[in-house]
Amino acid sequence: MGKWTRRAFIGTGGLIGVGLVVGIGGNIYLNKNAKKYSGKGMGDGNSMNAWIRISPDNKITIAVPRSEMGQGVYTSVPMLVAEELEVDMKDIKIMQPQPEPAYANTLLVNPNPRDIYSSLTFMEKIAHFLPLVATGGSTTITDGFDHLRAAGASARVMLTREAASRWSVSEADCYAENSHIINRKTKEKFTYGELAEGAGEIELAEIPKLKDKKDWKILGKNVQRLDIPEKVNGTAEFGLDVRLDGMLFAAIRHATYHDGVVTAIANQPEIEKMPGVKKVLILPKGVGAVVVANNTWRAKNAALALDFEETGNNTLSSENINRLAEDVIANELIATPLDKGNATDVLDKAEKVIEGKYDVPYLAHACMEPINCTVLVKEGKAEIWAGHQGTSIMLDGVNASTGIDKENITVNMKYLGGGFGRRAEVDMILHAGFVAKEMEGTPVQLVYTREEAMRHEMYRPFVKSHFRAVVNANGDIEAWENKMALQSVGYSSLMRIKPAFAEPPAKDPSTIEGAANLPYTMVNAKVAFGQLDLPIQVGNWRSVGSSQNAFFTESFMDELAHSVGQDPYEFRKSKIQHEPRFLKVLEKAAEISNWKTPLAEGRFRGIAIHESFRSIVCQVVEITKVDEKKFSVDKYYNVIDCGRVVNPDTVEAQMQSGIMYGLSAALYGQITFKDGEVEQYNFPQYEVVRMNVAPTVQVHIMDNDEFPGGVGEPATPPAAPALGNAIFAATGERIRSLPLMKHGYTFV
Amino acid sequence: MELKINGKIQNVDVEEGMPLLWVLRDELNMTGTKYGCGVSSCGSCTVMLDGVATRTCTLPAVAAEGKEITTIEGIGADGKMSEIQQAWVEHQVPQCGYCQSGMIVAAEALLNEIPNPTDEEINTKITNICRCGTYNRIRAAIHTAAKMRTEKSDLLG
Repeated sequence: MGKWTRRAFIGTGGLIGVGLVVGIGGNIYLNKNAKKYSGKGMGDGNSMNAWIRISPDNKITIAVPRSEMGQGVYTSVPMLVAEELEVDMKDIKIMQPQPEPAYANTLLVNPNPRDIYSSLTFMEKIAHFLPLVATGGSTTITDGFDHLRAAGASARVMLTREAASRWSVSEADCYAENSHIINRKTKEKFTYGELAEGAGEIELAEIPKLKDKKDWKILGKNVQRLDIPEKVNGTAEFGLDVRLDGMLFAAIRHATYHDGVVTAIANQPEIEKMPGVKKVLILPKGVGAVVVANNTWRAKNAALALDFEETGNNTLSSENINRLAEDVIANELIATPLDKGNATDVLDKAEKVIEGKYDVPYLAHACMEPINCTVLVKEGKAEIWAGHQGTSIMLDGVNASTGIDKENITVNMKYLGGGFGRRAEVDMILHAGFVAKEMEGTPVQLVYTREEAMRHEMYRPFVKSHFRAVVNANGDIEAWENKMALQSVGYSSLMRIKPAFAEPPAKDPSTIEGAANLPYTMVNAKVAFGQLDLPIQVGNWRSVGSSQNAFFTESFMDELAHSVGQDPYEFRKSKIQHEPRFLKVLEKAAEISNWKTPLAEGRFRGIAIHESFRSIVCQVVEITKVDEKKFSVDKYYNVIDCGRVVNPDTVEAQMQSGIMYGLSAALYGQITFKDGEVEQYNFPQYEVVRMNVAPTVQVHIMDNDEFPGGVGEPATPPAAPALGNAIFAATGERIRSLPLMKHGYTFV
Repeated sequence: MELKINGKIQNVDVEEGMPLLWVLRDELNMTGTKYGCGVSSCGSCTVMLDGVATRTCTLPAVAAEGKEITTIEGIGADGKMSEIQQAWVEHQVPQCGYCQSGMIVAAEALLNEIPNPTDEEINTKITNICRCGTYNRIRAAIHTAAKMRTEKSDLLG
């Protein structure tokens, strides 16, 4: 997800009333009386604070207010708490709390993780006030690293103090171990469960000191994920698996064109007579229609048979969009976020200018689990069940679509069958809420078929990037110019999710992430962009701006290296001497991939390095030429510096995952428009990497004491440029437009 | 129609064209088998029919009459995980987990057919999609499970 910044609030006149946010302070980590924390749904037992509840039989429940979409937070979040609480992971149960201020993800609105020893910043208070409880932008660990450990440490001290008081000894005479407080002298023990009631009443004045990395028992070790047992026997419940008494199923069919409006259904009486059909509804603003039936298959068949009377732009095409982008780059740039020195002047006067015109297509998220949402409206109350990237977005969506007060809405978070940014959207909630209100008293599960999910979603935008550069005989980058054209993801998505946060496209930070913050030494540099005004929804797609910008910048860096006859690794290395973390990652990647040792005949390699979401990843990919344009992608070497590591096995898994996601896009991914419609509508038209193409991935994690960065997204950006650079090494053909498939390449 | 699912007879009354997937999920509430694409491309809906991995999103349920249907709920159902499920845990395979029912069923069918598959055979036989990209670990887990099954049969033999 993009970054939401303070500027969003300037000019939104009076949105945040003075005084409304006062009182939500650092004390939220310390005790159960934190403002706006009810602990609703946390089960029996005594709360220590908003995250920890302990029952008399010594069972520990930890609240995980983040979404589990495969990135492992249902394990890594409790690990952070357990380390300081001194409990074994096997004694922990987790639960998903209702969206309350204590659980806000402040990193989504604030550039730095919150300082638990200071009061909250203005934007952190806003995040609490809303509250903004969401999962995205690879933020969970960075956001929670200190405050979740503080929650565990605070509870441990409260339990210790209670025990000391019962034994009439000093706190120093007691210590915590394995869910017990032990008396050092007498070796007597209390279980946490025995102490919880009294301990919960203790008010701490300050947050205890947190452990040093060297003293960690759980963090930094490979911990088995708590969600895996139920994911191997079919019992893990995803949103689409929700089954309720009397539940009906609804299938959506969107208006054919992306700005289209359905005005009527010509054959509505016939549809209503189809097997199992209960109701046919046109959605608000005519964005589509929904058929409610007693089985998903019947609902889907009826939705397919709907005969729409509709309007819409049937001339939109990828060709038009491409021409528009050329025009915007030439004539309508709206912002210049980086302008160092005088790049244009140097370029205009230079004898030799290297140019590269790049573009990437729209991309679908193609989550494995098709989009869905289940809502029940009954007697002035509502309940929602979905796998989604934000309990607060679920709450807002049900409130907006049903008009029911938030106090009367219950949110049930399920597992997400993939998120990747798509499940941070609100469309499925608004539509399901509308249908549930019309079907009052009956729970309804709204399902997007794969075809509907793919043809009508919030795509990674089509982006064009035109480079010009001057490199001197030493290989120094004298001038670097990058002019881009795209649709603003931040503007498009926030206008749907939180309009008050939406900045104009010219100020969207996600557009230039990975384009305007490059680590390389450049004497003169300019990055400018323009906005494409199109009736297509764009959204956050795993790694957002970096998903395209890493491909553009790291491919063009390769071009510059070859233009002066330098090795692509050495060329990069000479320009990051002032960035020690980058340098170490780059050197490690060269080391583990034996970069300096030539590969056997017919094998080739490429390299790319990119920072995103507070982590640096360098990848070297090795490929084998099977036939003229036929390749096997054999292996990715992946080095990541994500600071202090919570669960190394999860980091490895996310590196493998991020690469496969980026590789799918590099090889095959494209959403194209023709006559106003999306041409791809299922996996046969939108192919992705499968077992036969999947390369092996070797991961190295840098060991250091830096603050943790994200891991869910940072492996995706370098995957495409590393591969493109390898293809260049193999064929001499520079890939400036993705996917590779359209240039005639095949992969085995 | 009468279906034999995980050894148990189930009677369902649906129109002839309804795919087995939707009979399982919406008529019998057996939600372990997943809907992914509806066109037999992704493999999320894989079950075994008489031991053969079969995609159920386009297969009319009537076509499964008289056959032994084994879904993910029927694997390791006696309270003990199958070797494949154990290997899946050992290698920490699932991420989001949505495709894994289909992957596990496909892997069970593969090992029934080829007890000790090569990487090439795994590539040919496991054609399901995993958007989280767990392929490296799936491959490793299949090899581990194959070894466990061979050792077990040696012990029994």
